[in-house]
Amino acid sequence: MHNFEFVKPSTIADAAAALAGDEAQALSGGQTLLPTMKQRLAAPDTLVSLTGIPEMQGVCIGDDGAVCVGGATTHATVAAEAAASFPGLAGLASQIGDPMVRNRGTVGGSLANNDPAACYPAGALGTGATIVTNSREIAADDYFQGMFATALEEGEIITEVRFPVPEASSYQKFLQPASRFALTAVFVAKYADGVRVAVTGASEEGVFRWTEAEEALSANFSADAVDGLSVAADGMIADLHASKEYRAHLVKVMTKRAVEAAS
Amino acid sequence: MSVAKPLPHDAARLHVTGTARYIDDIPVPAGCLHLAFGLSPVARGRLTHVDLAAVRAAPGVALVLTAADLVRPADCSPSAHDEPLLAEDEVHYAGQPIFLVAADSHLAARKAAALAQIDISPLPAILSISDALAANSRFEDGPRIYGRGDPDAELATAEIVTEGEIEIGGQEHFYLESQAALALPQEGGDMIVHSSSQHPTEIQHKVADALGVPMHGVRVEVRRMGGGFGGKESQGNALAIACAVVAQMTDRPAKMRYDRDDDFTITGKRHDFRIAYKVGHDAQGKISALVFEQFCRCGWSMDLSLPVADRAMLHADNAYWLEHVRITSHRLKTNTQSATAFRGFGGPQGMVGIERVLDHVAHVVGRDGTAVRKCNFYGAPADRSDQGALPPGGAAASPQSISAKAIYNGTRTPYGMEVTDFILDDLVARLESSSAYAERRQAVAAFNAQNAVIKKGLALSPVKFGISFTLTHLNQAGALVHVYQDGSIHLNHGGTEMGQGLFQKVAQVAASRFGVGLEAVKITATDTAKVPNTSATAASSGSDLNGMAVRAACDTIRDRIAVFLAERTQSDPTDIVFADGMVRVGGLEMPFAQAAKEAWMGRVSLSATGFYKTPDIVWDRIRGTGRPFYYFAYGAAVTEVAIDTLTGENRILRADILHDAGASLNPALDIGQVEGGYVQGAGWLTMEELVWDQTGRLRTHAPSTYKIPAASDTPDIFNVSLYDTPNAADTIYRSKAVGEPPLMLGISALLALSDACAACGPCYPALDAPATPERILAAVARARGALP
Repeated sequence: MHNFEFVKPSTIADAAAALAGDEAQALSGGQTLLPTMKQRLAAPDTLVSLTGIPEMQGVCIGDDGAVCVGGATTHATVAAEAAASFPGLAGLASQIGDPMVRNRGTVGGSLANNDPAACYPAGALGTGATIVTNSREIAADDYFQGMFATALEEGEIITEVRFPVPEASSYQKFLQPASRFALTAVFVAKYADGVRVAVTGASEEGVFRWTEAEEALSANFSADAVDGLSVAADGMIADLHASKEYRAHLVKVMTKRAVEAAS
Repeated sequence: MSVAKPLPHDAARLHVTGTARYIDDIPVPAGCLHLAFGLSPVARGRLTHVDLAAVRAAPGVALVLTAADLVRPADCSPSAHDEPLLAEDEVHYAGQPIFLVAADSHLAARKAAALAQIDISPLPAILSISDALAANSRFEDGPRIYGRGDPDAELATAEIVTEGEIEIGGQEHFYLESQAALALPQEGGDMIVHSSSQHPTEIQHKVADALGVPMHGVRVEVRRMGGGFGGKESQGNALAIACAVVAQMTDRPAKMRYDRDDDFTITGKRHDFRIAYKVGHDAQGKISALVFEQFCRCGWSMDLSLPVADRAMLHADNAYWLEHVRITSHRLKTNTQSATAFRGFGGPQGMVGIERVLDHVAHVVGRDGTAVRKCNFYGAPADRSDQGALPPGGAAASPQSISAKAIYNGTRTPYGMEVTDFILDDLVARLESSSAYAERRQAVAAFNAQNAVIKKGLALSPVKFGISFTLTHLNQAGALVHVYQDGSIHLNHGGTEMGQGLFQKVAQVAASRFGVGLEAVKITATDTAKVPNTSATAASSGSDLNGMAVRAACDTIRDRIAVFLAERTQSDPTDIVFADGMVRVGGLEMPFAQAAKEAWMGRVSLSATGFYKTPDIVWDRIRGTGRPFYYFAYGAAVTEVAIDTLTGENRILRADILHDAGASLNPALDIGQVEGGYVQGAGWLTMEELVWDQTGRLRTHAPSTYKIPAASDTPDIFNVSLYDTPNAADTIYRSKAVGEPPLMLGISALLALSDACAACGPCYPALDAPATPERILAAVARARGALP
């Protein structure tokens, strides 16, 4: 790891100011960034910690009923505090990584990084969440732009994520047992105006919505509804852990499981 | 007597309090250098340009060496002198050390090593078994073939002929303590080496060779390893030699430990195998002829591959009478890590081959796998009521008596060794009863009839494992025992402690010989200056060999004390009793400590060496005949699994094990070995998957990509018992070796998964190992006839 400066502001404005400097990088839980720096794949001059900002912490219910999670809230906190208001989201948070990752890693960090096998992108896209930054609000459908790519501008901070609470939902994750990332995982959420299905871990383009399944499930919210559908292996990830065909197969199986668990 | 007691591991308290000392915990003298290798990123190629200027200029770097900088060639091979410490002109695998950095810290050495500029002109790499066969790249001139009878003729007339093939993956040792060594230069060019090694004498030999000094100039000490599993038999040589060479050149201490990624990348693993089979059998599943072709991927250097491949052949029978058999073994040379010893030493791969055959045959004839296994057991009744005919050749020997009607399977292995201690009939019967095998077989069938998605599987598999080094001269051991004038005992022998509990078992032997408590016995580090010319602690032989050597040393001292005290009491020295901390002879009775003190005062030597060599073994590995093993260790396991037929996800639900450790020296430690062996074996065959990419780089080189079973992966119901019966062979207190055999109990997990897959359709699932979810899903599809 190269040397770096470390600052820990206590307000979003101070954090944004610090991030305006040359080669400054936001640090949240550090569960991806610190290993990356140790590998010297990243070498920021300044790390701006986001964990000392009170307004970016915690879980609450917004005026519209959405579950609002501060950007620097850990997975363990979401798993505990959203359990009553949004069990599907709490369930997702409780399956991330191991206890260390859950107690250090944050929702904002996960979404900003947008790892193609991370859990939160499926939760955000599957709920049509709103990603709130220090300068604007971004709809999840506009936010995810491919593997490790997002709509965030340089220095922009995710301060909050607003998850609309569905009537029913479930996150079903096929665990890669060594890394505990998703080999393939699916978030299914049923709203009054339709069903959303978001898939992570499977596609070379990162998290995506399986729109055919959404249509079928919006018409008939039962696992059988996707029986006639299939997912093409083209564009799926093939790596040391699984073939693209296997991942494509898992998309459908995990979707059905999520529907069954949600209904 | 302290033998047979379930005492805890002697260092258990140190382990759990973090005070057990490993190589990296030894305080080093001032000026110690820390070493790191620079590795080849290319599987095969010619070194065209090696620019180490930046490495040499890096902070803290004291010395950088390439092969050309070595004063004399340094070889790391345990066998064929084909492993230069540093690559010379060509690199032979991705991960091969090319240069060596010595710096003032571990981190500085690793950082510096990353700065090298190395140009390699790539050559076509031979990576897979198929590549090696196409290129005829192999060790030895051609395949080795063992066998007997006329399997081709028998196959031609067999009622049913079944053919197939199985791929069996390798396995990373994943000892918790990675490879490590520390060299301390002494006056006059002598060297002390602390090494995390199962084979201190080989370290001594190879270091002496690299330094150009006689073996007496090198002393190697090993207190303990944090796990070995065979991975520290030859793979520690490179670090010890590197440290000693640097220490000699600089006159500074030198230490090296591999980072986990480097350990994965540099060191050899279990050999992966492909085994093809063609078996002739009848409608009951009785085998009449069997032809195996074993393809073994050895990696770039010979290492221990020949005896490993031999042992795979020697376990191609497992527990079964194979009258007409041919086993052909191809030892293939590839541009990958040099595959090496791993718990079982090829035996497990050979055994998976024959168990796969039994599984396939049972499926073809539609009988329960256990019934088919039992009718093929050595010495089993071969009389088939439907035919009543003599078995082919009529040469089958009876193990007990030949009644008028009963004809028995033979009891001679394919390599000509008579199996005289076969206990599996009784052992398996007891296990079937204790595990409720028959009832659970029905329950599994009933469950599967009612569940479309989740299918259960159940399998019983036996183990018969040969005990002794197949290289006969290695079956020897030495010990050194001192009794001090206060009655305390210093114990030393050639075996090494790697967590398995050897030291405690041997200390129990010493305490029993002197009739004292274990607190009187000091266990000391393995040291080539105390006991010379030792064999590796391997082949499960640690307690058998060293226990006997220690017994001999103790008895020598005991006899001297007996003669001395008997003389004083005018009694017969053979009447002396050492028990309960006391010595009794004639009318005399005194504490052992007093006897020791009086013997010392009487000028009796209280120090002795002991020596043991295994009797009655002889082996011709070229012809494949003889008696390579002193005896066999047995065991059997019943595993029940469940699979999800939509994804291939799976769980081991329950395992029942009955294992033969003879008259156990320590049932607590032996059960620990059985439990750990089963879990490691099941891990090998289910979840542990090594993946090399198309350029030959190992992509699974850390726990983030390679999953070993954890405590949470043990079955919820895990019933492990010892088959508590004295060894028929005259071993130390009639115990049996227990290091390797239980690993093969894990084969029942693979077979249970195969059984679950077979419940999905009419075809044979042909499940390869490791049985990852993706492979299980493919096997389910094959069972349904949806895949070829």
